[in-house]
Amino acid sequence: MSKRTLFAALVLSSALTSGAALAADPAVYKIGGIFAMTGASPHYGKVMSAGAQLAVDEINAQGGIDGVKLQLVIEDHKSGSAQAAVAGMNRLIDVEGVKAVLPSFSTVTLATMPIGDQKKVMMINGGGVSAQTVGTSPYMFNIRSMASDLAAGIAHRAAEQGAKKLAQIAIKSEFGDATIAATTKAWEGMGLKMVAAEQFQADAANIDTQVAKLRASQPDAIANWPTTPQAGLAVKRMRELGMKQPVYCMEWTAEDTKVAGKHAEGVEVVTDYFAATDENPWSKRFADAYKAKFGEMPDFYAANYYEGVYVIAELIRRAKAKGGDYYSGERLVQALWENPTFDSVYGKTLTFRKNGVAQKPVAVFRLENGEQTFVKFTSGD
Amino acid sequence: MDLLIQLTLNGLFNGAHFALLAMGFALIFGTTGVVHFAYGPVYAVGAYAIWALAALVGLPFWLAVLLGIAFTAALGVGCYLFIYRPFEISGSPPFVVLVASLGLFIVMKNLIGIVFGTGVKTVDSVAYDVHFVGNAFFTTVQLGQVAAALLVGCGIALFLRASRYGKAIRAMADNREMATVIGIDTTRLSILVFALGSAVSAVAGALVLLRDGLNPNMGFGAVFVAFVAVIVGGVGSLRGAVIAAFLLAFVQSLGMWQIPTEWQNTIVFVVLFGFLLARPSGIVRRA
Repeated sequence: MSKRTLFAALVLSSALTSGAALAADPAVYKIGGIFAMTGASPHYGKVMSAGAQLAVDEINAQGGIDGVKLQLVIEDHKSGSAQAAVAGMNRLIDVEGVKAVLPSFSTVTLATMPIGDQKKVMMINGGGVSAQTVGTSPYMFNIRSMASDLAAGIAHRAAEQGAKKLAQIAIKSEFGDATIAATTKAWEGMGLKMVAAEQFQADAANIDTQVAKLRASQPDAIANWPTTPQAGLAVKRMRELGMKQPVYCMEWTAEDTKVAGKHAEGVEVVTDYFAATDENPWSKRFADAYKAKFGEMPDFYAANYYEGVYVIAELIRRAKAKGGDYYSGERLVQALWENPTFDSVYGKTLTFRKNGVAQKPVAVFRLENGEQTFVKFTSGD
Repeated sequence: MDLLIQLTLNGLFNGAHFALLAMGFALIFGTTGVVHFAYGPVYAVGAYAIWALAALVGLPFWLAVLLGIAFTAALGVGCYLFIYRPFEISGSPPFVVLVASLGLFIVMKNLIGIVFGTGVKTVDSVAYDVHFVGNAFFTTVQLGQVAAALLVGCGIALFLRASRYGKAIRAMADNREMATVIGIDTTRLSILVFALGSAVSAVAGALVLLRDGLNPNMGFGAVFVAFVAVIVGGVGSLRGAVIAAFLLAFVQSLGMWQIPTEWQNTIVFVVLFGFLLARPSGIVRRA
């Protein structure tokens, strides 16, 4: 049974049991956000919540949805604590009454996904990259490229630049495991050799042993999978150790540039492509408003969660236009499948594929003078 | 062979960092009996203070370190006088003080994030060199960690053996009641060891600031390592704490020679559990 058919059946049964009574608008449309506000990687929570809040503020400034305002309710998953995430998800649903949640981090999304599925709450992930979030719940959607796509993109980029032997370093987590597996599959699928895969704990400040083993494996290129700030720390250590090989990442933030310092120069990042350009007025408006409010340019995480709120708001509008008891996770998902295309801050539109993952442009960036400079679009195909 | 040499060097440098942390914690815990878990955030606050003085105020790094050490010592004394001392006076059982220290840990950790922000802090004004021995490498900061551990270790040992206060601290660590009976002012000594122990942690913090940068969670790993080193080394033995700190670091580093690095923390604690089962009183047994 396809995801759409399964969902149609769910909606039909719901309609039959609940009747077609008209429902009043809620006092406010609450949208949940489960972000890393504290813990080892609070940078992510800061930018994701900032992007989402900016979207909420913009929509409210334009009168909300037919006069009903949006409200972002944030729960802290402490940089990947499944326990905190599950508690937060339950509170968002049972206490706050949200019908849509924006989770972040693979571990957190995987931990909260069964709750969303059971309680019929729509989830739109803009941060985690685990392929395990794909195709397992009719309520789960992704507006971030998955690790398998990005890993394949990086494997192709490294091979195109002449690498024959690749080494990987990652945090010991669901994200790290999934990324190492995806990269190994893509790399060895091209008949090339994977010479090392080193991992460390998420809160480790000292990764000298891992970097020493990377160096000893004598790779042609390094796939650097840690998240902020360890991505920057790993690059700093590699360069201090005299490793001059190309380094590829799928995550790189201003925090990493700060940690790596001069060693960040030349690092390549293959990731979702967000750039504010004159050709895309919405992206420019968003970037300007974000900078005015938060004092820095938005990264793609901020863009993803900003966009996530707009997608949810549009779904509420569409569901309401259809009438009946429209404010539910089921009706939001139904509205999405009736038309899976939305305006995108990335440019033009985004379309959710049948597996619930929105197709996004993926590009290669190079760190030059501390800034990510666009190199080219890439594909893992 | 190159990898083995590199891992040995890594063990040495990390061991020096662990030893600094363990010495400060051992001084406090061994003398006063307070399981000062807030030692972790005190160490972190000290490092943040050094960062603020160097990066925000613009003081020369050496001056920022000196002032940061003094500030951290005062912070440690504040923890004792305002948190632990009232419990001592009221005769609270040790587990109440333990809970208080955990509470203080959480409060201070969260305060760091609120006051300094949650981003990573680094100092760009201090450049350091990288040195190679064959194919193995180390940085000037890592050399500084070893030098600091040696200097601080020798200084504390000399102080404990040769000075009047040092002898009194040893007497108090040995038997607090007896020390009180013979007229030693244990409150004053507690203040002194909290100041000394916290100051030592600031030395470690200054070097970590240069090596890895700071984040609000850095205190947990620090107090965890220090606590384990003190227990494995033998409670009350500074020498034992230092030996255990190096043991921890070498196991963490050399243990990964032929084993995937994802096992780094696991193998350390498997070895340590085995060690404690075989020698529950720690490396250095007290008479």
